[in-house]
Amino acid sequence: MSQANTLPTQSHSPTLATLLSLIVPGSGQAYVGRRERGVFILLTAALLLGLLGWLNLWMLAPLGLPFWLWQAWEARLYAQGRNPGTARLILSAALLVYAIGWQVTQIDVSRVITSAPKVVPFVTGLVQPSYFDRQIDYNAIPAAIEIPCSPSPAGAASPASGPSISLSAACAAPGETVTITGSDFPANAEGEIWFQNAIGNRARMRGTEGLLTFEADATGAFVVEAIMPAVTNTEPQTQRLEARYVTAVGPLRLSETSWLVIGRMGETIAQALMATTLGAILAVLVSFFAARNLMRVNPATQAVYYLIRTLLNILRAVEPLIMAIVFVVWVGLGPFAGVLALTVHSIAALGKLYSEAIESIEPGPIEAITATGANRLQVIWYGVLPQVWPPFIAFTVYRWDINVRMSTIIGFVGGGGIGFLLQQWIRLTDFRAAGAAIWAIAVVVTVLDFLSSEVRKRVV
Amino acid sequence: MLQIKNLTKIYDDGTRALDDISFSVQEGEFLVVIGLSGSGKSTLLRCINRLIEPTSGQVLWNGQDVTAAAPGELRRIRRQIGMIFQHFNLVKRMPVMTNVLSGRLGYVSAARSILGRWSKEDRARAIANLELVGIANKADNRADELSGGQQQRVGIARALMQDPKLLLADEPVASLDPATSHSVMKYIEQLNREMGVTVLCSLHFLSLARTYATRIIALKDGIIVFDGGPLEIDDARFREIYGEEAVEVEIR
Repeated sequence: MSQANTLPTQSHSPTLATLLSLIVPGSGQAYVGRRERGVFILLTAALLLGLLGWLNLWMLAPLGLPFWLWQAWEARLYAQGRNPGTARLILSAALLVYAIGWQVTQIDVSRVITSAPKVVPFVTGLVQPSYFDRQIDYNAIPAAIEIPCSPSPAGAASPASGPSISLSAACAAPGETVTITGSDFPANAEGEIWFQNAIGNRARMRGTEGLLTFEADATGAFVVEAIMPAVTNTEPQTQRLEARYVTAVGPLRLSETSWLVIGRMGETIAQALMATTLGAILAVLVSFFAARNLMRVNPATQAVYYLIRTLLNILRAVEPLIMAIVFVVWVGLGPFAGVLALTVHSIAALGKLYSEAIESIEPGPIEAITATGANRLQVIWYGVLPQVWPPFIAFTVYRWDINVRMSTIIGFVGGGGIGFLLQQWIRLTDFRAAGAAIWAIAVVVTVLDFLSSEVRKRVV
Repeated sequence: MLQIKNLTKIYDDGTRALDDISFSVQEGEFLVVIGLSGSGKSTLLRCINRLIEPTSGQVLWNGQDVTAAAPGELRRIRRQIGMIFQHFNLVKRMPVMTNVLSGRLGYVSAARSILGRWSKEDRARAIANLELVGIANKADNRADELSGGQQQRVGIARALMQDPKLLLADEPVASLDPATSHSVMKYIEQLNREMGVTVLCSLHFLSLARTYATRIIALKDGIIVFDGGPLEIDDARFREIYGEEAVEVEIR
């Protein structure tokens, strides 16, 4: 661009420049003396063309037209001694870049709408997280039937009160259909019909449409047709039918899901706390070696400085989730692997922040405290530490906040904490339990976020 | 009380900040050092309490060689010499009270000061000194909540905690506006007149120096080019100190 003022304007033909650029993008620019720009345009064109070919996205080729035409027009403007600016060149190239990006990432807005029903169970679970339930009572209402039939089957006696079922026959042959009539069940109770043979083996009974279930009406009555199963005995024997249903009794209480969520959330927070504390302690040690102002002493210390800085940068670039996978392999599944992964990442992140806090120490107060006749320890205590610890605390609390956040997902790769439960529940499609976990994460992270920002406000 | 003998400071980059300087300060003087930026004023003041190590020469404090003092000895000398700074050099995040108390560090044991166990007398003294500079009501504020003039007054209170015989003031008003400058200079003058503290003060402006000094030393390129009464500096002398093109600016 520095050539802008020295360009001869007369000696280049605008038409020739345009033609050149139309044939080989950028060549017109090179012809009028804009060599760097020409090379840039040629490389861009080659890259875009290469991408189209490699990804076989030739149908997007027309979108390259604006770029092609503009750069040719631009060559003409240069030849006329005018400055076309760079914005339109970039924008026209960006058009094709974004079109390719759109294709590569398979963006399909319509699917967001057409596939919406698939997410309904998830959202339903999310809006009714299973935090509370009632104690469950398992009820089994029996009735006796003889299979196969004997000449004089014994009729079963019904209980005096409470739910009962009666059968349309006192005996039946295997494969026969028997009508089961229930009465005095709790209103709208739902349940299953089970069969228990003479030696105590149990199985679901079948109806005409598969496994047999019943649904009582408002008065607690129901009628279902049951197909009698095959039995091993050939002599008539009394078998047992059961109408099973569950009732929720007692007051609402914290569900088992809640207890699991609470326990694992505690583990998550503890995991973050351990990682932050361990990371902070080690980072304090490391940070002194990563502070430029302290390591300027001689070439050897400077080498240490660069080494540590590079190491921290590399460690920081690796996501804790990836580290967690490594540590899960190393020390096994569980929170310890998560603690190690988060610790390593915390050392890297805090080490950099701490060392920058050390680098920004003002020499003035240190000078002033020294001038009062204070000894070395007093100078550090009154001149150095007051400048360093507020940012240290602020960074550490912030790190804890981040670590809780990361700790919630580290369970997804086996690192312990609530993420472990969450991914299990999602795979089991228990979306109400997953919802309970997600809300718990949202609440805990929000609260810690608020607390950490309050703490930071106060110390800095 | 203070004698400077052949003091020379050459920095690592070869800059000759002080070049064979000699003078002495009498008890009770209000001695102002003037000169352009980079003339060596700050270096001179810092060499006296060895915040900067002089390259050669001697500083004698009541006959005692500061330049040869062992670390413990140096600290005992330092605590008799208060110092205030252009940028106040308070610990910004600490309360005013703690900043003032830190002036007492040379007198208390390391253990006591680290535990923050200041004696009743020291606390009373800190409050009294803050009252003296008119900001006792700010004792619990963080230092950086105060205005520049107030911060410099905290700096003075901190220096007073040392019971100083000598006050080194390094451009004490260079970061302040003219009105505030005068109020801060008045406090320093009060220490000098009423409490008998000898003052060695560097200033940019000749007009301020004329108002407050009992004696003026002018530095140029690390050499003393003038040493005399405030009224002896006429136009010719002024140009000699500040260069031919300088015009005197009045600070009222």
